[in-house]
Amino acid sequence: MKIHLLFDREGPRIGQHDPPEAGPLLDSLEPLVQSLRSGRETLQRTAADDLLGLCDAAAAAWTRSDHPLAEMIRRLGLGFLPLWMRKNNLSALCARSLRGDYHCLDRFVQLAHDDPQWYRAQPRGLAVHWVAGNVPVVGLLSFLPSFLCKNANILKAPHESAGLLPRLLQGFADVCFTNSQGETITGRVLTDATAVLYFDRNDLEAARALSLGADVRVAWGGREAVEAVMNFPRRFGTEDLIFGPKLSLAIVGRERLGDVESARRDALAVARDTAAFDQQGCNSPHTVFVERGGAVMPTDFARFLAEALQSVTRQSPLQTVDPASAMNVLGVRAEYDIRGEAFYAPGMDYTVVYAEEDRGLAEPCYLRTLFVRPVDDVFDVVPFCSRDTQTAGLAVDERRRDLADALTAHGVERCPAVGGMRLYDAPWDGMFPMERLVRWVTTY
Amino acid sequence: MPVSGFVDRLLQLPPYGLSREEKEAALAPAVREELTYHYEHCTAYRRWCEKQQFDPRSGVTDLAAVPFLPVNVFKRLSLSSVPEDQIVRVVTSSATSSQIPSRVTLDQTTRTRQVRALAALLTYLLGGARRPFLLLDAAPTTAADGRELSARVAGIRGYLIAATRQEYVLKSEDDRLELDLPRFRRLAAEWTKAGEPFCLLGYTAILYQNVVAPLWTSKERIALPPATKILHFGGWKRLREQAVDKKTLNDRTAEVFGIPPSAVCDIYGFTEQLGVIYPDDAQGLKRAPTYAEVFVRDPRTLEVLPDGQVGLLEFVCPLPHGYPGVALLLDDLGRVVAREPGPDGMTGTGFEIVGRAERAEIRGCGDTLPQRVYEPATAKRD
Repeated sequence: MKIHLLFDREGPRIGQHDPPEAGPLLDSLEPLVQSLRSGRETLQRTAADDLLGLCDAAAAAWTRSDHPLAEMIRRLGLGFLPLWMRKNNLSALCARSLRGDYHCLDRFVQLAHDDPQWYRAQPRGLAVHWVAGNVPVVGLLSFLPSFLCKNANILKAPHESAGLLPRLLQGFADVCFTNSQGETITGRVLTDATAVLYFDRNDLEAARALSLGADVRVAWGGREAVEAVMNFPRRFGTEDLIFGPKLSLAIVGRERLGDVESARRDALAVARDTAAFDQQGCNSPHTVFVERGGAVMPTDFARFLAEALQSVTRQSPLQTVDPASAMNVLGVRAEYDIRGEAFYAPGMDYTVVYAEEDRGLAEPCYLRTLFVRPVDDVFDVVPFCSRDTQTAGLAVDERRRDLADALTAHGVERCPAVGGMRLYDAPWDGMFPMERLVRWVTTY
Repeated sequence: MPVSGFVDRLLQLPPYGLSREEKEAALAPAVREELTYHYEHCTAYRRWCEKQQFDPRSGVTDLAAVPFLPVNVFKRLSLSSVPEDQIVRVVTSSATSSQIPSRVTLDQTTRTRQVRALAALLTYLLGGARRPFLLLDAAPTTAADGRELSARVAGIRGYLIAATRQEYVLKSEDDRLELDLPRFRRLAAEWTKAGEPFCLLGYTAILYQNVVAPLWTSKERIALPPATKILHFGGWKRLREQAVDKKTLNDRTAEVFGIPPSAVCDIYGFTEQLGVIYPDDAQGLKRAPTYAEVFVRDPRTLEVLPDGQVGLLEFVCPLPHGYPGVALLLDDLGRVVAREPGPDGMTGTGFEIVGRAERAEIRGCGDTLPQRVYEPATAKRD
């Protein structure tokens, strides 16, 4: 068992670009778990509003141009993250997830006026997050709700970008928030109850030990990764939140293709959704269905998408290019150059392809590659969807609720407007994750 | 058959020994000639060239500036530059890194060129004289279709132009290959006694897994004459998975057969440009012969990388005539390590293969299996 400590109450144990093996080895998990549980006691005593205020303060700090994280956030295309962390967003997320009143995290509350029962959401204890290899920042999207639910947290970092999460977490350590009573809450309330670890994925002993220590197991990743987590032993009563492999798409209705300006606006929204997480999130679009019959043809929309991706790429360049994916995309480009239309960068920054006869979902190629496919009717997309479809981003007006109804009945998890695909909200994958990060208890 | 003056002239030159300037002066017009042919005879290729704003008729001076097709395009599309009735053979790749094999269509011109190039290269490699070949594979049990030929069979058959006779020394039982040791011993003894140097030829993985490893493990030794050459090809993926590197293979092969490790020669080549092979030189480097050039490209920018840096390998070779496979980007990773001739006088850009582009193993939550993507849904809109 070789567990490397990457972050704890003392701060980051490795540099952002160091390999995770540079982190000190832990002899045993137990002292760390004890320390986190102790840190959690302070967390338990802190009001949810103050924790939300702390997140808000961090978000405000991170968006300052002179903040050490600002450049990294811009370069990695994580601009949504500080927005997502603002109090307005997180408090709404908490309220939606926790039966309308997130103060149940602090005390017993009545959820309905005539309900004789009072409810409280107690933390589950220690949440362990297995973070996806190529999208490490998603770890924050389960970590922060878990923190707001007053759980201690361990994030198991992937080998790639192992230094990223410690760097982001350090961004909390440096902030403080003063509440209306004049009390100051520092980032230590977060960092004292949080650790980031790394161990090789073949180190089953370490994985089992971590799994057995968890009160909640959260797994993000591909099929193999999440199945591996699910198969590790766990204690009775441990809750599992599995965010497994899914794919997303976008749908553009003819009513939004009446003029070039409107079409370009939607194209830019889809491009932004595509660029987030370098198109590796389950909510990243790969296929864009464009309804025929508008003034702007599907092939024109494909061109607009390429132009929009070019613009987005200037702001947030593609992060990683693995040669095999590059070869795959080059094959797609050549194929569509020959049998359809292909719009792409001189390098591998983005690719949009179109062929009149294409139908159905395309096999994802990543590297910001979009397959534009024409449909006669936006409802023709419904049969292509399944429980494997995470998000269908919509650029549809009056028909959107009917379309969302048909899509979600067919397995789609969410149907936000294009541009909002990349925003992590609740419910997610069919559940309110925060609700699963607490124990609901009652009194009268 | 079309007249192909520059390509013919190129193939009259020796595979190695030309200066860089001499090679470029011969190769560039041959490449231009062949690209022009494909441009004028393959509609799909012409369309692709037009998208690249490239017209070979305008001239080709810088081979690195020639637009390249990714090799997997032959898995995606059927591209042919000759009429159907001129196709004499269809070669399929082994499809090791995907489920779909690559298919290339050979016409007689391509085959003739392949034979000429391969003969010249094998002559250089084996010293001029043809030899008997012991083939490290099982004899084909069914006759291959006249036109469809797997890359494995085609790979072995190509080398047999240098063979005075050939004998298979593996047997296939329950789809498992096994060395026919008595037959191997008998043939090796006969040919040794005859005083004729001979060759062992086979796939790299088969050479190790089915021949060398069993003999080495069981401490069996078969003494072969010092002039024996062992040629192997087909890639290292399977051996890398077993942590067997070139030195291990060469050392164990040498020990088992009592020959110097330098007698073991790894040959690189690929289905889409059959005919040109890249054998090890004395330093273990591959050398691009007169008939081809190699470039290493940055997977992100697709620009040519400086020598020494690892990237995707591109090969430019004017032999393919039945299909537009003149400038191809492969999913093999490598780097250029020498421009000057080696100690054995072998000329040509020296390069090494460092592996195959593999998809990153761990994917984000957006990863899913292709069959799930294509799983048809049945419900319809109410």
